[in-house]
Amino acid sequence: MSLIFTCDDKATLVAYLYDEVDAQDRQRVDEHLQHCAACAGEVAALSRVRTELTQWAPPEAELGFTIIRRDALHKQAAPPPATVLRPAQWWNTAPVRAQAVAAILVLAVSAAIANVQVKSGPDGFVVSTGWMTPAPATTPAAPLVATGGNGEAWQPALIALEQQLREEIRANRETGVVRAASRSQADYATLRRIRELLEASESRQKGELALRVTQLARDMNIQRRADLLRVEQAIGHTGVEIAKQRQTVNYLIRASATPRQ
Amino acid sequence: MVATDEELVARSMAGDAESFNQLVLRWERPIHALAYRVIGRDEDARDVAQETFLRAFRALPGFKGQAKFSSWLYRIALNLCRDWIRRKKRTPIVDMPEDVDFIEMAADHGPVESIEDLVARNEMSRMVADGMKLLPDEQRTAIVLKEYHGLTFQEIADLQGCPLSTVKTRLYQGLSVLRKHLESQGVTSFASGRSS
Repeated sequence: MSLIFTCDDKATLVAYLYDEVDAQDRQRVDEHLQHCAACAGEVAALSRVRTELTQWAPPEAELGFTIIRRDALHKQAAPPPATVLRPAQWWNTAPVRAQAVAAILVLAVSAAIANVQVKSGPDGFVVSTGWMTPAPATTPAAPLVATGGNGEAWQPALIALEQQLREEIRANRETGVVRAASRSQADYATLRRIRELLEASESRQKGELALRVTQLARDMNIQRRADLLRVEQAIGHTGVEIAKQRQTVNYLIRASATPRQ
Repeated sequence: MVATDEELVARSMAGDAESFNQLVLRWERPIHALAYRVIGRDEDARDVAQETFLRAFRALPGFKGQAKFSSWLYRIALNLCRDWIRRKKRTPIVDMPEDVDFIEMAADHGPVESIEDLVARNEMSRMVADGMKLLPDEQRTAIVLKEYHGLTFQEIADLQGCPLSTVKTRLYQGLSVLRKHLESQGVTSFASGRSS
């Protein structure tokens, strides 16, 4: 090594700049800089570059990497199972039981949004959804107690017929006469009236049933659309979280597949 | 008493994952900073840092302790950075983080530094980042390891797998390019200080 520092000895100049020179080299460079303005200027400029480099800072990052061993879950796996996770993502560290509770809560909230109602009654369980007033599941006594204008005339007639039959039965019992083979003209008239009343009743029931079925189908269709819309909105809210979870899972899969260093 | 890296490594190798987590906590920011300055993207730097510790944990049984644990980590991280650059096949882009709000940062730094000074400082940071972008990978990595991580020439030479003289040359050339870049940006301290 030369005892005199020369201007083209940049390696020694850099070592001097970073103060990684021995005492002898330091003295040589110091002596050179005292009478070489170019090298002195260069050392000063490079020192200022180093000062400016300190201005460049990386972004403040929330890292918090944590090794999580999953030996209990993967006892059969030969390599030591481990992964590096970011605890800021809470679903990565939540225990399985807590995740199950969370899933149940999600289902409960979804049911609340859809307003699912289950009622038990004499006709069995009735399930309804949505916030609209549900159509009555059953129409009690509707087939028997008509509410229309024809029904009001039909009901006294039925009562009168019942009373007439009771009186005839009572009279037969009192006289002990059994008329099994032949029927009187009055009997035929009575049977005809009964048949007419029954046909009228069946006709009304069919009409009301068709109307109810139509209304029920229309309400169910409207409710189904509303429920689907709400479910889509609920899924949309959780879509971002699901996407994040999917990214994390993908990364873990990729990380676990990475060969050993 | 704070455990040394070597002690934590020994416990980790004995199966104590918590000791390794302490090492992670100790070194995650330097590794992230190294990756960020080398590849220039925060999100990718996070991934590199995460992958670094994952690989380190897996390879821990093979760590013989010839080198310092930090040097070993640096080597893993730099290999990952090199792979990332090679995979991307593009010049690393060193950008300021997208979500940086200078005014908000000014408020965070308190009354000691004026907003004008802070804006100027961030402007300088951007210019430095742009200058680093101009450097070849080897020069940029050498400067990052030297300036921000305080490694010796020999440690850098070991990490980069080159002679010690090559490290000095890379540093000199890199600093000279940065100097010219900053001068071209009209940084007054350089314009006025050339004759000193």
